[in-house]
Amino acid sequence: MVIDDEEGPAHLVTPGETITTDQQFMRGHGTYTDGENIVVSAVAGSVERVNKLLSVRPLKNRYTPEIGDIVVGRVTEVAMKRWKIDVNGRQDAVLLLSSVNLPGGVQRRKNESDELHMRLFFSEGDVLVAEVQSFYADGSMGLHTRGFKFCKLRNGSFVNVPPVLVQRCKSQFHSLPCGVDIILGLNGYIWVNKKPQGLPENNTEEMDTTIMYSSINDEITPEERAVIARVCNCISALAKQYMHINDTVIIYTYEASLAYTVKELLRVDVIDSITTEARQRMQEV
Amino acid sequence: MPAPLISPAEKSYIIQGVESDCRADGRGRLEYRHLVLENGLLSQTSGSARGRLGDSDVLVGIKVEIGDIEQGQPDQGRVVCNVECSPSASQQFEGHGADELNNTLTLALERLLCGPQSGLDLDKLCIIPGRQCWVIYVDAIVMDCAGNLLDCIIMTTRAALFDTRIPKTEIQDLGEGEYEFEVMDDVEDAEPIGNWDRLPIAVTLYKIGDRYVIDPTTIEEFSSEVTLTVGVNKDGAICGVQKGLNGSIDPSLLTEMIQTAATLGKNLIEQLDAKLIKDDKAVQEKRMRGEPVQKLGFFAAVF
Repeated sequence: MVIDDEEGPAHLVTPGETITTDQQFMRGHGTYTDGENIVVSAVAGSVERVNKLLSVRPLKNRYTPEIGDIVVGRVTEVAMKRWKIDVNGRQDAVLLLSSVNLPGGVQRRKNESDELHMRLFFSEGDVLVAEVQSFYADGSMGLHTRGFKFCKLRNGSFVNVPPVLVQRCKSQFHSLPCGVDIILGLNGYIWVNKKPQGLPENNTEEMDTTIMYSSINDEITPEERAVIARVCNCISALAKQYMHINDTVIIYTYEASLAYTVKELLRVDVIDSITTEARQRMQEV
Repeated sequence: MPAPLISPAEKSYIIQGVESDCRADGRGRLEYRHLVLENGLLSQTSGSARGRLGDSDVLVGIKVEIGDIEQGQPDQGRVVCNVECSPSASQQFEGHGADELNNTLTLALERLLCGPQSGLDLDKLCIIPGRQCWVIYVDAIVMDCAGNLLDCIIMTTRAALFDTRIPKTEIQDLGEGEYEFEVMDDVEDAEPIGNWDRLPIAVTLYKIGDRYVIDPTTIEEFSSEVTLTVGVNKDGAICGVQKGLNGSIDPSLLTEMIQTAATLGKNLIEQLDAKLIKDDKAVQEKRMRGEPVQKLGFFAAVF
């Protein structure tokens, strides 16, 4: 397994492995003490040391949210004045009715009719993109979709990768040169799609909620479908090789993958070769 | 995906993809994902195999034990199957969530393996007619669920049964209808299961929209309304047909689907058998030359 080397190869430990018997260190997350002065790892991951604090960052972990994170989620339940959204975290996130864009303008009083028509906006199974707004007392997160970028997702395909691999960038929404849009949810849920027609370009435009909450896909040609499938396979290849995922490395992997057909990208040797090429190009930069 | 949920937009995208023969991962309608099969991994069993089809992961262990003859089949051995989905395979399987799926898969496996359609030489498994016979216990555990479980389980079971060895028995006739038998401990004398190559394989076709696909991913499974599992053996003969889910199949489409499954199954068995036999021969030759045999092993990562 290759870990991007910043200070040399990472020190990987497995659960139960002794990290150090040195007394001077304080134990952080992912460690516990076994007997006297022995610091033992509780998870499989890489050891991180900050001055005197030793912690182990797990390789595969549930998504731990921060306020302001962009996440892609799937609606699991429609409850009283709120939706429960699965975001690959320890608990389902909550999206309040007051946190979504309602038809008729941004500032509008909610009325009872909105509550009865919640399923017109988001129903069970719908995929959406939202931003983490707050935390509740029990640790679950509150989401909001106020903004022109946040809407119900369609016209595309869903990819699931380990959350730890998705890097925080300036923007999680990218438009690749090959013609597809991708949303890299920080929770490991990624949406690859062809840009829906009629979506607002910036915040000042009038938001047409029928387009934002529509479940009908636009017309997708077979070539566009093949490009979307290729990008999905590239992202899965990066996840299988445990490499960080951001728009640059996806573009490099995509370009390396053009030498093969879309379904060949599911083979182990092809995955190996395209990700190695992408990694080399990343290191040249 | 924790619960079987899919959005209407995704479903429509998948149905149109299947229609234009370009699925979400670029495969055609009748193409399998990457398959990794390895047998002989568990030393405590009489035979074992592990199969990984895409991300679906199944481990099958076979134990051969002496048991009582079943009334109604006094001179035949028998096969007992059990399938269990590990709770770590998917969030739906926590607690009792997997019970229904375990039952369905066990029954499907039994339908294919228990009875004359399995093609196995059960007479050879009889030790003392009317009294004792060999019972083959097939235990499958699903370690990761990523679509197309039944096909993966049956492929892996077939490889495990290829790997199984039944110890030789020596029977002594004590007279007056009394028999005594002794099990030979010598590993070299153990025999493979009679007619293992006549075992069928299952090809499950999932109807999505107006077309059908094989080997779907989890999300493609959620988009299909009806499935058809066809058991096919190496001669292309149909050993069993079972419909799943709540939808319906038009009779003309049904005949077409069974034909397609038969062709696909026959091809698959040919390729699998050729590889199994070739690899086994290579291992035997290495053993005879006294060279160490490199096994992939249970913990080996494929990627």
